[in-house]
Amino acid sequence: MKNSIHYRIAFFCILFGIGFISCKTKESKDEPKKIAIVISTLNNPWFVFLAQKAEAKAKQLGYESKIFDSQNNTAQETDHFDNAIASGYDAILFNPTDADGSIVNVKNAVAAGVPVFCMDREVNANGAATSQILSDSYSGCVAIGKYFVETLNKKGKYVEILGMVGDNNTWNRSKGFHSVVDFYPGLKMVAQQSADFDRNKAMEVMESILQAHPDIDGVFCGNDAMAMGAYQALVAAGKAERVKVFGFDGAEDVVKSIQDGKILATGMQFPEVMAQTAATFADEYFKGKRDFPGKMPVAVELVKKDNVENYAAYGEKE
Amino acid sequence: MPKPIRYLLYLAVFALLAYNSVYFKKLDEVKAGTAAFDAAGYARDFWDKKLTPGLSKATDLNALTALLKTDKEKAFNEHSHALGIGNIRYFLVKGQGVVTDVNENEVSVELVNAGQTAGNVRLATEYIFGNAVRDASGAIDINAFTNSMDFNNVSAEINKLIREKVVPPFKSKVKKGDRVTFHGAIELNRAHLQVNDIEIIPVNLQIEKP
Repeated sequence: MKNSIHYRIAFFCILFGIGFISCKTKESKDEPKKIAIVISTLNNPWFVFLAQKAEAKAKQLGYESKIFDSQNNTAQETDHFDNAIASGYDAILFNPTDADGSIVNVKNAVAAGVPVFCMDREVNANGAATSQILSDSYSGCVAIGKYFVETLNKKGKYVEILGMVGDNNTWNRSKGFHSVVDFYPGLKMVAQQSADFDRNKAMEVMESILQAHPDIDGVFCGNDAMAMGAYQALVAAGKAERVKVFGFDGAEDVVKSIQDGKILATGMQFPEVMAQTAATFADEYFKGKRDFPGKMPVAVELVKKDNVENYAAYGEKE
Repeated sequence: MPKPIRYLLYLAVFALLAYNSVYFKKLDEVKAGTAAFDAAGYARDFWDKKLTPGLSKATDLNALTALLKTDKEKAFNEHSHALGIGNIRYFLVKGQGVVTDVNENEVSVELVNAGQTAGNVRLATEYIFGNAVRDASGAIDINAFTNSMDFNNVSAEINKLIREKVVPPFKSKVKKGDRVTFHGAIELNRAHLQVNDIEIIPVNLQIEKP
């Protein structure tokens, strides 16, 4: 009698198990795959554009998608990853909040069988993400550095305003720029300070640097928001005509400022290309591809007065 | 089992688990990633074993510019390379011409095609930067690199070789009117093509004897 009860329990367990698996299989066959788009912050229009383009490409490829805003908070990002894994998302298109702090989220997702494709920002762990599609900031700033040297005619005093010191992009940009400029002893860097990629901070930093070094010839900024802040400070100090300002990003106001001759040049990034490539990689992953490049650089283009007519904010003119 | 032995056994199991659960590594080692990568050695090896032997496959610059004007897509698809994605692509080219100007940054050359002049190009002698030479041959696979700084450093080391080995012997002798042959790399933008102001990063430069 006792054995008979055990057999019945085992039988129902197996039946339930088969039923559960069938339901799961049916669900995965009938419903489109889901892609989570986890973005560092939606307070910055550049990242909103990145998220929207990723969402549009996912939809075009036939997938459901949802955008998650991490609000520059790694803990919130972890919650989004946990939710995405628990809710059965099949892939994550990811713009990390922190190159080191986000590694664990990427590893957890990949361990749970959810591929992660990083966009624009990287995590500092080789092989953790399925692939990382990143602007080639270093090479873009090599081009800016070369143009900087040419326009300053290999001599003069200059200032570098850095982005967030904990961000890889900050240093890739700075290293690319210096890989050219440091060849020329006539170019002397009189100050190097961080303004956290922030326009107002860059203005304050520039104002304070101008007190100590009123005779500078050029300013290289790690992004366009800071370039605009530095330019504002130079206008206020009456030095905008003399000092050449260089940025990086391809933001709308800087593209216009290059047209107007206020900013000398910027490095145009292509968030749409990054977002579309990430979504396409996810699609290829679903179809069985596994050999993705660890890092896929996306070319950055030098925008200056003589070619600015080809460009609009965040990319090329349609 | 006597209590002391049992506790000893528990302690041994705990110690074993603890030892295998935690390990320490220097932060510098972790952050360095592939710090052992020898970019200079890689660049020398690439120069000797891939780039120099591959120069014979360089595209004739006159033929390339003609193709770019008639069938841009074919020219880019068949002759250009790049490690990343985007509009910037690189070509390995060869040609010959007559020097029309020598200045501190470059040497201007009027190309010659079947005895006729065929436009001007600039041979860079000062600004040897960027990825043109690294990428143009198509002989480097991006998947061979796990760290993006490694392949940036490869470009820097290749450019250093050009600055040290290719440019000085040429620059010290070249003068206006010389007939030169060159192999090198050029960068073109697929979306915004400009073929009337081509700058060549040289890999091989020869002044022909009169």
